[in-house]
Amino acid sequence: MNWKALFTNWRVIMLLVFLLFAIISIQPHFSVEGVTIRSVALNSSASLAGIENPSAKLTPLQKERIVAIDGTPIKTIQDYYEATDLLPPNQTVRIETNRQIYTLRTQEKSELGLKVYPAPTSNLRKGLDLEGGTRVVLKSAEPATKDQIDLTIDNLKERLNVYGLSDVVVRAATDLAGEDFIIIEIAGVTEDEVKELLSKQGKFEAKVGNETVFFGGSKDITYVCRSAECSGINPQIGCSAFEDSYACSFFFSISLSPAAAERQAQLTQVLTEIPDGKNCYLDQELALFLDDKEVDRLKIGCELKGRASSNIQISGSGIGGTQPDAITNTLQNMKKLQTILVTGSLPVKLEIVKLDTISPSLGKEFLNNVLLVGVLAILAVVCVVFIRYRQAKVVIPMALTLLSEIILLLGFAALVGWNLDLAAIAGIILTVGTGVDHLIVITDETIGGGRATSDWKQSIKNAMFIVMGAYLVDFAGMIPLWFAGAGLLKGFAFTTIVGLSFGVLIARPAYAVIIEKIMHE
Amino acid sequence: MLKDKLKHIYEQKYKTLLIIPILLVLLAIAQISIQYATTGDFVNKGISLQGGSTISFPLDSSITAAELQTFLNERFPQADITVRTISSAGTITGIAIDSDIQLDAEITALRAAIQEKTSLKTADISVEVIGSSLGENFFKQTFIALIVAFILMGITVIIYFRMLVPSLAVILAGFSDIIVTLAIFNVTGMKLSTAGVAAFLMLIGYSVDTDILLTSRVLKQHHGTVMERIYGAIKTGLTMTTTTLVAVAVALIFVKSDTIKQIMLIIFIGVLVDIIMTWIQNVAILRMYIERKHK
Repeated sequence: MNWKALFTNWRVIMLLVFLLFAIISIQPHFSVEGVTIRSVALNSSASLAGIENPSAKLTPLQKERIVAIDGTPIKTIQDYYEATDLLPPNQTVRIETNRQIYTLRTQEKSELGLKVYPAPTSNLRKGLDLEGGTRVVLKSAEPATKDQIDLTIDNLKERLNVYGLSDVVVRAATDLAGEDFIIIEIAGVTEDEVKELLSKQGKFEAKVGNETVFFGGSKDITYVCRSAECSGINPQIGCSAFEDSYACSFFFSISLSPAAAERQAQLTQVLTEIPDGKNCYLDQELALFLDDKEVDRLKIGCELKGRASSNIQISGSGIGGTQPDAITNTLQNMKKLQTILVTGSLPVKLEIVKLDTISPSLGKEFLNNVLLVGVLAILAVVCVVFIRYRQAKVVIPMALTLLSEIILLLGFAALVGWNLDLAAIAGIILTVGTGVDHLIVITDETIGGGRATSDWKQSIKNAMFIVMGAYLVDFAGMIPLWFAGAGLLKGFAFTTIVGLSFGVLIARPAYAVIIEKIMHE
Repeated sequence: MLKDKLKHIYEQKYKTLLIIPILLVLLAIAQISIQYATTGDFVNKGISLQGGSTISFPLDSSITAAELQTFLNERFPQADITVRTISSAGTITGIAIDSDIQLDAEITALRAAIQEKTSLKTADISVEVIGSSLGENFFKQTFIALIVAFILMGITVIIYFRMLVPSLAVILAGFSDIIVTLAIFNVTGMKLSTAGVAAFLMLIGYSVDTDILLTSRVLKQHHGTVMERIYGAIKTGLTMTTTTLVAVAVALIFVKSDTIKQIMLIIFIGVLVDIIMTWIQNVAILRMYIERKHK
C-alpha cells in the first residue's frame, strides 16, 4: 500500500489540517485541577477581594479555577464545600486560583459569594440539557421594534450581571410570523432564582442619605441621553495619566420630571458645600441602587444645591493600563450606568412563555447515557458494515472517517462557543447517520457491485454526485428551520448544516481517496 | 422458487406493486383525517406543543408511579395529571409527571406535593413549563417550515437533475414517507414533542438519501441494464437502511431520555416506510418515466 501517495493527496492533507485545528480548538485535557468559578456575587467577600466575575466571552478552559483554600488542595466540588462550609464569620481566607492568591474576609453570613462547578476538561460548552440550569423564553406582550428588543436584552444582561450571574446567554429570536422572543439560558441556576430575578421589576433608585430622589423609569427620568451630543468622554476633563495607569471621565445628561426635580431641590437644600480647588461638591453623594443593591455613587456639584433642575449631568470615570483601554472602560461604565437608569422600565413588557429547569443530576446522567448509547450505536453500525464488506481495510477507514466528522463538528462548536444541548445532539445524530449512508455509497460506487474498477476517477465522480445531491437537498431543507419556531430549532438546523458541510466537503472526499489508495493495488 | 417468483413480480408487475404505497398513503390520510375530526388536531400533541408542564426526577424507592398518580389525583382533582415511568434497557430509572398545569403557584404546589411523598431534593427535580401560546405557535411554525422545506428541496432536486418527473418522484417519496410515518405514530398513541417534530425533519434527510442514490444510479450512469442498476442501488440502499435501523434500535433500547427515544422511534418507523417508498414507489415511477422516454 502506498502511504506516501495517501498522505500527499490534498484531500487527505486538508482533512488532517482541519482535524488538527478542531483538536486545538477543543483542547481536550485528561484532568484539570480544581473547581472553576462560575460567578461572583456583587459586594460579596469574593468580589471585594478582587475576584472577577468571569466574562461570558471566556472559553471554558480560560475561566479562573480555585486550586486551594487555606493551603488545602481543592480537587472536587465536595472539597470546595467542605472547605467553605466550616468558615466562621469575619475570618480571613486565602483562596489560591490558577492565576493568583486572594485574601478574603468572610462577612457575617460567612458566605463567600462564589458559585463554582467542576473544572471543564475541554473547551466544549455543555448546554443546559447536559449540565443543568434554567432556560426561559420570553415574549414581548406588545409589538416591539428591533431597537426596543435590543435595549431590553441589554437591560436584562445588566440586571443579571448585577446579581453576579455571568454564565448567561441572553439572545433574541424571531419566528416566521415575525414575533420576537428573548431566550435566556442560565447554567447552574434553579428555576426559583431565575423567576425571582425576572419578577423583580428592576427597581432603580437614586438616594441622598436615606431619602429617594428619583426612581428609574419614565415616570421620574423622562430622558436618558445616549447620543454623541450629550454623552461620551467629558471634553473638559478628558483623560489623564495617573501613576502607571490612565483615568478618563464620562458624562451624559438625563432629564427629570418636574416632581423629581422638586424632590431633588428639597433634599439638596440642607446639604453643606465642600469646596475642593476649582470644583465644589456637596457633603453627601447621590447613591444609585438597583433592586436595593448599591451599584454606584456620584458626587453632586454645588450648583445643584436647592435648585429644581430638570436637566442633570451624570458623570463618572473609568481607568485602564493604556489610554485606549481607559477610554473603552470608561465608555463601558457609562453604558452600564445608562442601562441601569432606564432599567426601571423595560422598553417592552415581557411574559414568560416557556420555562425549563434541568436538574444538574439529570443533566449529568443524560450526558453519560448519551455517550454510552453513541458508542454502542457506532459499534452496531461497524458490525453491519463489516458483515457487508468483510474487509477491515474498508471498515477501519470508515469508522475513522465518522469519528473525524464528529471531531470536526465539535471543534467548530468549541471555536464559535456553541452550547451543546439536545438540539445539537439531534444534529450530530443526523450528521453521523447520513455520514454512514454516504460512506456506503462511496464504497459501493468504487469497489462494490463487482464492476470493473479501472476507472477510479469516474467512480469517485459518480459517488460524489450522489453525495453532493443529497447534501444540497438536506441543506435546502434545513434553511426554513433556521427561522422557525422561536429559535428553538435553530440549534438543530445549525448543527446539521455545519456537520453535513464538514462531512461532505472535507471528510467524505478524503475517505474516497483513502479507499482508492488502499484498494487500488 | 419463491425468490424467482418475487423477482418476477418485482421486475414485471411493478405497476401493480404501486398499489402498496398508494394504499398506505390513502390509509394514512384516512387515519390523519379521522384523528383531526375526533380530536381537532392531526397529531397527539405533547406538553411541549400544547402547553403545560412536565416534572421529572430520578426513581425514588419510597413511592411507585401508580401510588403517586392516585395521590396527585386526590390532591389536585382539577388538573389533568399523568404519571409515567422513564425506563432504559428494561429497568425503570425515573418518573415523569405530565400535566396541563402552567401557573407558577400551581407548579410550586405540585412540586411540594411530590417532595412531601418522596425524599427528593429540589436539585433532583427537573421542570419544564410551556405556555400554550408558544406551543400552538411553535407547532404552526414548524408546519409552515416543513412545507417551505419541501418546496426548497424540490427546487434543489429539479436544478440538480434537470429532469422534472424524476425530481418530483424524489419529493413525493419523502412526502409519502412523512405522511405514513405520522399516521403510524398516531396509532401508537404517543404524544408528539418538540423533539419529535425535529425527528420528522431528520427523516426527510434519511429518505432523500436513498431516493437520490436510486435516481442517480438509474438516470446518470450507463453501465448494465436499468434493472441491474436498480438492483445495485437496492444493495447499497439496504445496507444504508440496515445501519440506520441497527443504530436506532440500539438507542431505543438503551437511551434514558424520553426525548431522544421519541426521535429514534420516529426515525425507525420512517426508515422502514422509506423502504417501500423508495424501492417500490420511486422505482415504479422511474421505470415508467424511462419507458415513456424510449417510446
